Amino acid sequence: MRIVLVEDEARIARRLERMTREYFGNQLQQLVVCDSVTEALQALDATAPDLVLLDLNLNGQDGFSLLANAAAGAFHTIIISAYTDKAITAFAYGVLDFVPKPFGEERLFQAFARLATAEKKPDGGLRFLAVKKHGDIVLLDIQELRYIKGAGIYSELHLQNGKKELHDKSLEKLVQLLPASFERIHKSYIVPIAQAERILVQEGSRYHLQLKNGELLPIGRSRYKELKAKLI
Amino acid sequence: MYRLSVFLCLLLTLGSCQPDVEFESSGAVFRTGDNPQWAAPGYDDAGWRTERGTTGSQVFWVRHHVLLPHWDSTAALGLVVRSFGGFDVYWDGTRIGRNGQPATATRAEVPGTETSYYLVPAALAKPGPHVVALRATQVYQAAEQRFSDVKLHSYPRLLRDPLLIMAFVNLMAGALLLAAIYYLFLFSSSRQKDYGTLIFSTICLLCFALLMVEYVKFYVDIPYPRFYTRLTIIGLLTFAIALLVPLYFTIQFGLPRKGLVAGGLLVVLSGIYGLNYPHYDQTAIYLSQAMWLASLLVVVLAIRQRAKGSRLVLAGLLASAVTHYFLYFDYSLYITFTVILLCMLYLHALRVRVVENERQAAQQLSSRLKLELLKKHIQPHFIKNTLTSMLDWVEESPKQGAVFIQALAREFDLLNDMAEATLIPIGQELELCQHHLQVMQFRKEVRYELEQSGLNPEELIPPAIFHTILENGITHSIPAADGSIRFRISAEPCATGRTYALLTRARNRPAEPGAKVGNGTGLQYIKARLTESYGTGWRLHSGAVPEGWLTSITISH
Repeated sequence: MRIVLVEDEARIARRLERMTREYFGNQLQQLVVCDSVTEALQALDATAPDLVLLDLNLNGQDGFSLLANAAAGAFHTIIISAYTDKAITAFAYGVLDFVPKPFGEERLFQAFARLATAEKKPDGGLRFLAVKKHGDIVLLDIQELRYIKGAGIYSELHLQNGKKELHDKSLEKLVQLLPASFERIHKSYIVPIAQAERILVQEGSRYHLQLKNGELLPIGRSRYKELKAKLI
Repeated sequence: MYRLSVFLCLLLTLGSCQPDVEFESSGAVFRTGDNPQWAAPGYDDAGWRTERGTTGSQVFWVRHHVLLPHWDSTAALGLVVRSFGGFDVYWDGTRIGRNGQPATATRAEVPGTETSYYLVPAALAKPGPHVVALRATQVYQAAEQRFSDVKLHSYPRLLRDPLLIMAFVNLMAGALLLAAIYYLFLFSSSRQKDYGTLIFSTICLLCFALLMVEYVKFYVDIPYPRFYTRLTIIGLLTFAIALLVPLYFTIQFGLPRKGLVAGGLLVVLSGIYGLNYPHYDQTAIYLSQAMWLASLLVVVLAIRQRAKGSRLVLAGLLASAVTHYFLYFDYSLYITFTVILLCMLYLHALRVRVVENERQAAQQLSSRLKLELLKKHIQPHFIKNTLTSMLDWVEESPKQGAVFIQALAREFDLLNDMAEATLIPIGQELELCQHHLQVMQFRKEVRYELEQSGLNPEELIPPAIFHTILENGITHSIPAADGSIRFRISAEPCATGRTYALLTRARNRPAEPGAKVGNGTGLQYIKARLTESYGTGWRLHSGAVPEGWLTSITISH
């Protein structure tokens, strides 16, 4: 487990560090603490972290550029901020959790626990997927998705307009962020329920999902029942 | 506006009145010498001169032939004589009155007034030719070849007309006097000396004086030797008004080069006055026309600069030109003045509104700043981060946590104390800074040191100015290797006032991409506070120096 901690208040950074070490114990391979946007961006590049703990206001600077960067990354982000009114925006960008300041151990551990559960939150609040494109970060509305296909440590976002974008997060991580209207139908596919047309049963109990545009996607054997219940 | 329109209508009716008595008169004829026969209507004055000539203190006679084509003998006939001198007046050989007294060998002349009025006895007021004869001396102004003129009027009209005219003149004069006094008070009691107001008050006073001097003739019998004195005063008053009115418009519309306008106008007006010197009425006409033209020019320039109210003033000026076209000069001059004054009053009302808006804006600024001061410490970034650190201190070392809480409580107390004030003693500000640094020390785990030099704790400055600069310093500095950031606040007198310098001795954080230096809310707060208390009398400079960051504020005395 590699973690980057971005916080400009020394005392709070130490508090976070202490609690993080306590929670992850031996699992923690590396913990980098930075106190400015520039430093944080460098650390994200250098460390390839699994988790980023991010304060949204650094030295009087709005951390949303950093948030967009983090959201496009392969890692999960937990926001720790004084600005509770920013929580909705943060979730819309696709953060795992938003821990309001002042925080205690319990609330922070609850956020850490989310890392391990594949369970979706009913109203995750995710509205955009941040995608790195030519050095910029583009926000894609999740309403535009047709389906998501896992591609190793990346995911392919297939859009309704036929285009394809690459996202740095793995399918596993996206499942944790996407709202309940998205269904994992296969170990390599996530589909918005709204895009599903019907289930095709083929010989040898192979199942396929026909999308609204006619495209066929395989359905994992173990996921068939759940999907069928949702579609009917 | 209502009053003005009634006034205009009445003056129009007055001005457009035809003489109420139809008569014909030939020019006056003069003869030096004294003979009671010369009063007789039948006397043949064929050889008499058409000018008085040199009479010195000698008696001379003036004869006027008037023809009254028809007359209702039950009405009272009045006679108006305009002539210099002291004289007896004869109507068809009968003495009907006198104006002063002609000189005799033993007694000096009693000067009469220029215009005098007589009742023609009813028995003599019959249709047909008549002779008005004057037995006169003109000891004073002996060289002045003043015309002699007679007019016939209905006698009641001669009594009533001045009353009617005076009613309106007094109405106008009263308004002008009130305006003059009011704006003078306004000028003297206002802290900002607005010379537009003073000029406006002066113009009102001059117009009041002009009206009084012009129409004093109905109240006071001015002896003819003083006749030109009054005209000279009228000329000078017109001159001053003609100079001040366009100048007022340039000030009111905020046009540049006011001195040049005033100087140019002064030259032109002086030229007019000098060239037309003895012709008093003509001078007044030219002066008022020059004023009108100059005002028009100023207003047109103002319209080009889109000055507020300029179009209305243009309309007023054009309206006054129209009345001038239709009316006898004396009236139209005052109507022109009145219209221009009304325009100026309107402009003044506009300006008062602007000032009112400014004051309101200043009040709003003050309450906004007060709010901002209090908000500084309840905004989430400050309070939540402080509470988080505090939580940590309390959990980790409760004793230190208690000190932290005390420091925060003291900082809140101090902020609360100064929230209402626009200026506070420096001592109080320094105390606030120290407690803030103590709080931040707990949060940032950086050692903050505050040095000071040359500061007088009694001196007044706007609240939370140094505090805001410190906040910026804390946010934008990287502590030195020994984990400290040092601040130094100093004050020293300078040429224009006093300079406060706050130096942050530390490495500056590199500017983050997209961040603009010098536009933060902190500096905006400081600027707004300085403006609130010192208007434009301050300068603020904030920038990097080799030792760190220097913010200096110069306040002019």
